[in-house]
Amino acid sequence: MLQGGANLDPGIAPFRLDGPGGPRWLPTSPEHPLKRLVAAGCGDVWALHPAFRAGERSRRHRPEFRMLEWYRVGWDDRRLLGEVVELLAELTGLDGPCTVLPWRQALERHAGVDPFTAGEDALAAALGADAAVVRGGDGRLDREAAADLLLATRVEPHLGRGEWTAITDYPPRLAAQARTRRDARGEPVAARFEIYRDGLELANGYWELTDAAELVARLDAERRTRADAPGRDARFEAAMAAGLPECAGVAVGFDRVVMLALGLADLGEAMAFPWERA
Amino acid sequence: MGSFNIGEVSKGSKLLFDNAPWQVLEVNFVKPGKGNAFYKLRVINLLTGNTLEKTLRGGEKVESADVTDVDMQFLYADANGFVFMNTKDYEQITVPPRAVGDAKDFLLEQAEVAVTLWNGEPIAVRMPNSVVMEVEYTEPAVKGDTQSRVLKTAKLKGTGAEVQVPIFVAIGDKVKINTDTREYLGRV
Repeated sequence: MLQGGANLDPGIAPFRLDGPGGPRWLPTSPEHPLKRLVAAGCGDVWALHPAFRAGERSRRHRPEFRMLEWYRVGWDDRRLLGEVVELLAELTGLDGPCTVLPWRQALERHAGVDPFTAGEDALAAALGADAAVVRGGDGRLDREAAADLLLATRVEPHLGRGEWTAITDYPPRLAAQARTRRDARGEPVAARFEIYRDGLELANGYWELTDAAELVARLDAERRTRADAPGRDARFEAAMAAGLPECAGVAVGFDRVVMLALGLADLGEAMAFPWERA
Repeated sequence: MGSFNIGEVSKGSKLLFDNAPWQVLEVNFVKPGKGNAFYKLRVINLLTGNTLEKTLRGGEKVESADVTDVDMQFLYADANGFVFMNTKDYEQITVPPRAVGDAKDFLLEQAEVAVTLWNGEPIAVRMPNSVVMEVEYTEPAVKGDTQSRVLKTAKLKGTGAEVQVPIFVAIGDKVKINTDTREYLGRV
């Protein structure tokens, strides 16, 4: 499923292919083609499909992996969350409750800082030696990068211990293609969830943004941050403009589910031909 | 040397940080589902052997270090250091004792090893995992006891280095030694 333009999610780098009639992009998830199908009136759709992300390499990342992604027409994120946890429990044989933890509280609880109100000193102290990594040339702390690094290194290891943990209510800058709403404090948050087990992120779901103008504005803002100016996925944007029905969608890292179910130490063990043996 | 994107770094890459050459031992990509991406590298300083963990932001540029391993034969040691000959072009270079380090204990004349060059200057000698050396002197062997875990000191011919060997080993025996741990691996 090549795309005429790139996925534009913050921090995710797509692979570009050059061919007849101009470049194509490998999907970083099957989100664009599946939403084109939903917009075309196909109803609920799913795919278990290879996804490609340049530069992602660790014990739990490979540049090529499999994504199980599906869309439920008429559902919202909360309803979909329940279905995803049910499926994950069945696939892995792991039980336990699902705890919902808003993004801001996750940082307060596990990193000891409120990412919005903490002073620069408190954020830097929470990061320790890593603080230098998120300082700009002027020595000022990049607060957003600091929160992301804290979440990845100080918070994630604690999530999903003996339970499923769903991080919800992401800040709007991390909404990607989720709609935003107000939380109990009246703050705007993204209608997005991520599900963790044993410190491992397994799924990312949205109550999908259906406002095409807002969606294109977000994609354009992300495109402006990219040095390589990745191409616009015009057919996807046209489908969104024609109208995406109210729906919720989720992407599950399929190899990670296999990793968790079988107790594997490295994601590559869940694959026949991982990147290093491709 | 050029700079390249951190995303292209892999295990074994040679990078320049703080004016020193480092080799990447491990690359770990860390990122919350969306948002800023980071790389945690475990790197070893090719000059000192120190290892450390380094965190970098996704998209950052890193400098590559001009580090190459060249096959060389050890000729002899003199007052300036250890003289090696490139086995391809027969050029000779002197490697300072600091760069040879503990490898000197197992470095016999004529031995073929890899010499690591940084910007053309020798910075390290890479020994094979094990070497076979002759025992020049050790206390008399205890005959028959080939199962013993009791060790004694043996002086090796050619370098005079001392290693621990089982008590049945005799003068003139050829022994296989792990060059990293200095452990006795067996008689040859």
